[in-house]
Amino acid sequence: MPYIEVKDRKIEVNEEGFLVDPEKWNKEIAQALAQSQENIEELSADHWKVIDYIREYYLEKNLAPMVRKVCQNSGFKLKYIFQLFPSGPAKGACKVAGLPKPDGCV
Amino acid sequence: MTNQKDKTDSFEKKMKTLSCEDQDKILEEFKKRIHQEFAAYLNTCAHCGLCADSCHYYLTSQEHENIPAYKLSLVTQIFKDTFDSFGRRFPLFFGAASLNKKKLREWIDVLFGRCSLCGRCTINCTMGINIPYLIRAARGALASAGLVPPGLQSTVDTAVDKGNNMGISKDDWLETIEWLEDELREETGDQNAELPVDQKGARLLYTINPREAMFFPLSISAVGKIFYAAQESWTFSSDNFDVTNYGLYSGDNSKAGLMSERLIKSLNHLQCSELILAECGHGFNSNRWEAPEWLKLNYQFEVKSILEVIWNYIQEGQIKLDSTKNPDPVTLHDPCNLVRLGGIIECQRDIIRNSVQNFIEMSPNREKNYCCGGGGGQLAMTRYAERRIKAGELKAQQIKETGAKIVATPCHNCIDQLMELNKHYQLGVEIKTVSEIVADAVVLE
Repeated sequence: MPYIEVKDRKIEVNEEGFLVDPEKWNKEIAQALAQSQENIEELSADHWKVIDYIREYYLEKNLAPMVRKVCQNSGFKLKYIFQLFPSGPAKGACKVAGLPKPDGCV
Repeated sequence: MTNQKDKTDSFEKKMKTLSCEDQDKILEEFKKRIHQEFAAYLNTCAHCGLCADSCHYYLTSQEHENIPAYKLSLVTQIFKDTFDSFGRRFPLFFGAASLNKKKLREWIDVLFGRCSLCGRCTINCTMGINIPYLIRAARGALASAGLVPPGLQSTVDTAVDKGNNMGISKDDWLETIEWLEDELREETGDQNAELPVDQKGARLLYTINPREAMFFPLSISAVGKIFYAAQESWTFSSDNFDVTNYGLYSGDNSKAGLMSERLIKSLNHLQCSELILAECGHGFNSNRWEAPEWLKLNYQFEVKSILEVIWNYIQEGQIKLDSTKNPDPVTLHDPCNLVRLGGIIECQRDIIRNSVQNFIEMSPNREKNYCCGGGGGQLAMTRYAERRIKAGELKAQQIKETGAKIVATPCHNCIDQLMELNKHYQLGVEIKTVSEIVADAVVLE
């Protein structure tokens, strides 16, 4: 299994860079995922607004939120979400928030 | 959502604890799937090897397991062992082999993990053997014992259990439509602009790929705007809106049939006259061509791709396009299931020519086009992700050679793979559906 390094610890990710064990997620891992998967050097307050919402939603419902909810909750336009996470809400934002890979054409 | 560790573990466990009954089940299903046409194909391969250079897997990694004739030989071995008494008696001479655990592992690795069912080998086969059809039949045999790789199986299960392949609830679906309807009203400046739901008697029932509603809604807005401009009578269904059918990829005909049947039920319930399939290659192939066979019925209504509808609007002057709105060079990727296997070849080209200033074909194109690597369920099977990206190298080169800034493709599965290729091979392009390009050019009067 591939891995990312976070403070000298090896964290397992799958072949597509999603966390193998979503319970292991923390903010440092999020930063490391953002860097290795999305080329984001430093997560901004706007990134965190999206990530925290997705994480909370996932912990509560065991699901990724629809992008509508992400937009409405953050107050961000869809276009801006794509600017924040160039790989999009699934392979960008949800991945950084430590969610497993969603089913379907993603 | 199940986390991947659980999914992978249960699949590995299933492999390890495979019983004789499971093996019998696979063989039984395999026997059911083989008929005269398949038997003829399996006895026909001349081992000429021409197929090797047609396959994007082999062209990007020269491993013998990637040669279509080799993939086919795995199916042939079991066929000879099952149906041919000489094969059973003299296996080495007649190329037969029994379906033991080792062979099953190879079946899974090669038939699921090294083929996107794109059909390019068939059009380059000297004997015209329908290799992907035979691989799909073998996949179906594996499916009967639960041996479909995780990710692909869970996408089928989610669709069967929840009504769509991303498990979107009815409330979430309806709220997303309302949200997009507000945006459409804002864009058109018309407070009566609508994204209708469950409108009985509408002419068209329009379907979507769930990933549009979940993560990429711009393509829904685009089609909504085109329908608005054309003053079309259309509707969504609140229950059955999913055009995808991962049963095509897992090979499970009964689940595939069940998914397609739901769309037909909604169409009948809403008394629509045409089922319109979103820009989704395998969804088109499944619902247009395969479902009548899965369900043993003749359609009493029209089934069309949204591309055919849009092309007709342009022909009839129902929408007007201003191509200066799309000045950047655009190329087109042909989804295998829609083009080579589906027969929708020219209308997307004509639509794009009418919508953009500079359209550049990639080479080869149309039915000879290379698969992007995302089809056949590859996108869902994480374990083969590395091979998938490697197999997409040819497509990345094709795109680079066009010099285009935008890649249009009428398939959401392809879009996702192309987005990954864009990132991995640093193509610096934008990927869009055909409808999104049309919507940018459409003139609202």
